[in-house]
Amino acid sequence: MYKYIYIIPEAIGKSVLRMCASIGSIAIFFYDFVICLFTPPIYIKSLLIQLVRIGYNSLPVIGLTAFFTGGVLALQIYVGGSRFNAENIVASIVALGITRELGPVIAGLMLAGRVSASISAEIATMRVTEQIDALITLSTNPMKYLVVPRVLAAVISLPILVIIADIIGIMGGFVVGTKTLGFIEQSYIKNTLDIIELRDVLSGLVKAAVFGFIVAFMGCYHGYNSTGGAQGVGRSTTLAVVSASILILASNYILTSLVFTN
Amino acid sequence: MDHILKINELSKSFGDKSVLDNLSINIERNKSQVIIGGSGTGKSVLLKCILGLIEPDSGEIFFNQQILNKKKRADIDFHSKIGMLFQGAALFDSLNVQENITFGIKKLESNLGDLTEIAVDKLKKVGLNSSVLYFYPSELSGGMQKRVALARAIARNPELLFFDEPTTGLDPIMADVINNLINEVIEEVGATAITITHDMESAKKIADKISMLYKGAVIWTGDAMDINSSNNPYVDQFIKGSSDGPIKINPND
Ligand SMILES: Nc1ncnc2c1ncn2[C@@H]1O[C@H](COP(=O)(O)OP(=O)(O)OP(=O)(O)O)[C@@H](O)[C@H]1O
Ligand SMILES: [Mg+2]
Repeated sequence: MYKYIYIIPEAIGKSVLRMCASIGSIAIFFYDFVICLFTPPIYIKSLLIQLVRIGYNSLPVIGLTAFFTGGVLALQIYVGGSRFNAENIVASIVALGITRELGPVIAGLMLAGRVSASISAEIATMRVTEQIDALITLSTNPMKYLVVPRVLAAVISLPILVIIADIIGIMGGFVVGTKTLGFIEQSYIKNTLDIIELRDVLSGLVKAAVFGFIVAFMGCYHGYNSTGGAQGVGRSTTLAVVSASILILASNYILTSLVFTN
Repeated sequence: MDHILKINELSKSFGDKSVLDNLSINIERNKSQVIIGGSGTGKSVLLKCILGLIEPDSGEIFFNQQILNKKKRADIDFHSKIGMLFQGAALFDSLNVQENITFGIKKLESNLGDLTEIAVDKLKKVGLNSSVLYFYPSELSGGMQKRVALARAIARNPELLFFDEPTTGLDPIMADVINNLINEVIEEVGATAITITHDMESAKKIADKISMLYKGAVIWTGDAMDINSSNNPYVDQFIKGSSDGPIKINPND
């Protein structure tokens, strides 16, 4: 009987310890990353390849999701707004919602699904097939060769992707607003341009850079520390996507409260 | 005697499983040292400890009379002096054969013509021709991957070479090409080679010295020609390949 009393505290204790251990190991990984970021050599070619893979190749996915998000936002606000005769607010809320929140968050989450997963699977495979060990024996620092280019590429790409997502998302709202909800094109555009301030867009871009970092860093971290063969590759991929997504949403809250509540 | 590598009482366990147990071995310069031993006795782990890929629990490793630790490896640029063939080849699958072979040279000289020349030259040494230069590892057979990895290991003309089972997965003729290659790098380049193998034919052909590992320690070391008259029951059982003898088949024993 007594031994059952210990089960719950023991489980809690274990998971707390495990969490502390992984926070510690992420911190060490981050420290190594920062050191490598500021010491030569920098692998320009890898950086360019990753810019194409992470940034350019994500364009279709992010464009499509932004378009539909803008469209559905317009629809919902129209339906909700008409309950108190505030339909005209559609253009403004689409513009603000997309640039401040939905553009960066949706793009970040899509990138987490697409890029965290592929980075983590690729690096984990390199780990289990000893390619990372081989890099070291060929005098190449895997942190510099694999991690730095991917993280830099994501931090550079995501803000650019978010600018594009903002434009396409607002366009999605515009298409729905003018084609199905009956807004007049000129006034919709005018309402949009009137409401947007530089600050709205910039705050979204700062978020995007942070999310880009989270996406690539989590992918690299979980891939790099993968153990246990093919199963381990699968596990680290899942962990990368889940942890990147949660961190994106959590840091989004923190960033929003820092930027918009003075 | 001139030892390029001295290993003193190296121990390593994973969890409560002891893999290397106070292992000591000295490697003579410009000789070919072969390490034999059953599967799972810690041969690959030993190489990885020397290379700094696995941190041993205790013990010391000396390279040219200098103790090797993380800092020392960086200070003397240890990895530029060695070449390693991994048991599973470990070719970079995002790079083609030429890029794989010349991966470690890139930083020293960037002339693309020279790099291709080096790659072709090394490929020839491992019995492959230049038609595979632009293949990716996934397009090669297992034996070809192994040989490309071997070409990569020797590409920087290192003074110390580690080969983890260089002839497994090769046909007997190719195995002999690789045996000759190992002899050649030792004679011509003056390198030192440490080769892990299960292939007794190959061991006899390339070894100056043979050591046998059993349960994480060296239980016999001797000249290659003495291997048949070692009077060591473990060695005798191993070279005869008999399931009968002091070495238990069940690895848990
Ligand atoms: N990273 C690791 N984590 C846990 N255990 C390990 C690890 N690497 C090796 N081992 C264990 O160490 C033991 C020795 O492994 P090692 O790869 O050195 O064997 P080996 O002598 O090279 O065998 P083989 O001839 O089959 O290649 C094995 O029992 C293995 O389970
Ligand atoms: Mg092995």
